[in-house]
Amino acid sequence: MTELLKSLRTWPWHIVAPVLLFVAVAVLAPWLTPYDPAAQDYMSILQGPSWAHWLGTDYLGRDLLSRIIGGARVSLTAMSIVLLAALILGVVVGSLAGYIGGRFEVVMISAIDIFLALPSLVIALALIGIMGPGYWSMIVALTLAWWANYARMSRAVVVAELRQPYIEAARIMGANHLHIFSRHILPSVLALVVVYASADAGALVLAIATLSFLGLGVEPPTPEWGQMLVDGMGYLEDNPALVILPGLALTLVVVSFNLLGEAFALSKVPRPARGLTLSRRRRDRAKEEAARAQVEARP
Amino acid sequence: MSTASGPIYEVGDLVIDLYAGNVSVRAVDGVSFAIHPGETVAIVGESGSGKTVMTLGPLGLLPEGVTVDIRGRAQSGGQDLLTLGPRRLSELRGRSFGVVFQDPISALNPMKRVGPQLAAQARRLTGATGREARQAALDLLKRTGIPDPDDRYFRYPHEMSGGMLQRVMIALALAGKPKVLIADEPTTALDATVQAQILELIRQLQREDGIAVLLITHDIGVVSRVADRVIVLYAGRIAEEGPAFEVLTAPIHPYTIGLLDSVPDLRKSIGEPRQGIPGVPPDQSMLVPGCRFAERCPKVEPRCRTHRPPLDQVRGRAVVQRVACPPQLRALREMADA
Repeated sequence: MTELLKSLRTWPWHIVAPVLLFVAVAVLAPWLTPYDPAAQDYMSILQGPSWAHWLGTDYLGRDLLSRIIGGARVSLTAMSIVLLAALILGVVVGSLAGYIGGRFEVVMISAIDIFLALPSLVIALALIGIMGPGYWSMIVALTLAWWANYARMSRAVVVAELRQPYIEAARIMGANHLHIFSRHILPSVLALVVVYASADAGALVLAIATLSFLGLGVEPPTPEWGQMLVDGMGYLEDNPALVILPGLALTLVVVSFNLLGEAFALSKVPRPARGLTLSRRRRDRAKEEAARAQVEARP
Repeated sequence: MSTASGPIYEVGDLVIDLYAGNVSVRAVDGVSFAIHPGETVAIVGESGSGKTVMTLGPLGLLPEGVTVDIRGRAQSGGQDLLTLGPRRLSELRGRSFGVVFQDPISALNPMKRVGPQLAAQARRLTGATGREARQAALDLLKRTGIPDPDDRYFRYPHEMSGGMLQRVMIALALAGKPKVLIADEPTTALDATVQAQILELIRQLQREDGIAVLLITHDIGVVSRVADRVIVLYAGRIAEEGPAFEVLTAPIHPYTIGLLDSVPDLRKSIGEPRQGIPGVPPDQSMLVPGCRFAERCPKVEPRCRTHRPPLDQVRGRAVVQRVACPPQLRALREMADA
């Protein structure tokens, strides 16, 4: 626990902040939205920014700000469910394949390869075609389109870890499979997979928006950024903000998740001290040195 | 040995600070030493005592992922290494300084045959053309005692044994005809029998070319076998320095005494507990006054904790031996007076 606190202090907060902001907005959405995102108001259609509607309204008179905030909540929820499901499915299948080995592994690897060979959006589209459009079919489709990468990674880590001498040592000391897997192998698998997932979250938000853009994902009137883009396209000349702002929100979220993933990956590598930290450390060192010299100079 | 001429590599008041993540480490804290042509100097110390950083730091070979502050002097051939840019340093490495690393398997490119790797080095360092470089590489393989060099030339690193690869590493280090050979624990990864062969090879090459050898090691056996002079390093400072024979048979600094006592002795019976030095090496992230060894020292005096012990010469000995321990030196003088 103290370890965790210590690592929190050295966290690159400036990189984590955008993601935290997005999460905070999504969680607090019901309190932040000035209007019901789905409420229509035919008295104020396609308005520009005003005190009543800070970012204006769309063709049904719905408040744009409320819809963007509400969209964050919808995107984050869908993304979290898909990511968690894909991660669990991928880690379980991949680890089993790697740990059991033999013919089972060959079959599983082939299945994973088939999923990886097809673009994930194509898989998702095909599955939605079978299940019919809708929120939950989008979730299921995206999960099945997304798990293969995690499965492949997990299997690779498990196979590499199994060869480590400490696994052999654990086995010699009588540890059973469950213990070896959960205590010695799973932590390394998760360490890699979670880092990948943090960067993958952005791509997933984008995929959700894409499906909704095509009318296959989140159904109206639930606010969703991809859907807002379609809705706004027809009124591009009247109110370009209807397209620009949801697009901007989407871009910022994807970029901030990518930065988070990058920061995660880099935090594993030792970094030289730089900039302000470095000059502070040098100052501290010089002070220590002066203090030491003073003590040692006494007769 | 021609110690009459000036030193070929000289380091003075060297201070090296490392800054990484959230730690600052004073890896080297005011160290001076010199090595003359034809001489073998062993640098002894435990892991983390600063052996490698002190020797390779001035040449720009430093650990990855840290910011390095380096102060003091480091001279070779009339040049101050600390003022040279990375490009000039790179020219010196290989030409003036050859380096042999601990693990030859990871120091050689596994995807390239050893001969061409060696030839490429010869081409870079001596400006030899294709055929000359190849001949030079073959000669180097022959000189380092590799049997059937014509065949080994086309072998990949994984096809050769650790001892053979270490010979290839030595050949690589010698390709630029350096004046100083720095061997960083060259025998740690090798079998005991192969160790002896590699040490003998280094000795022989040194006799032939008159190069200086800086041997970084924590193996006292290796030191006694090849070194002319020994520098004992403790927590980034020199504890004791002198001719190998004197330091190994009549050590003065309590740390050297403890270090030698902890070498297993075959003459003692198995039941006898092994000697060791109580405690652990100090935390080098803080600068504290006094002797770094004071916490573990059996001869510690109050002054040891407040004043840095100067590296003083031992009087009354025919050789130059320097020890950073005033209490011990005083005891020695009193004994001589009595």
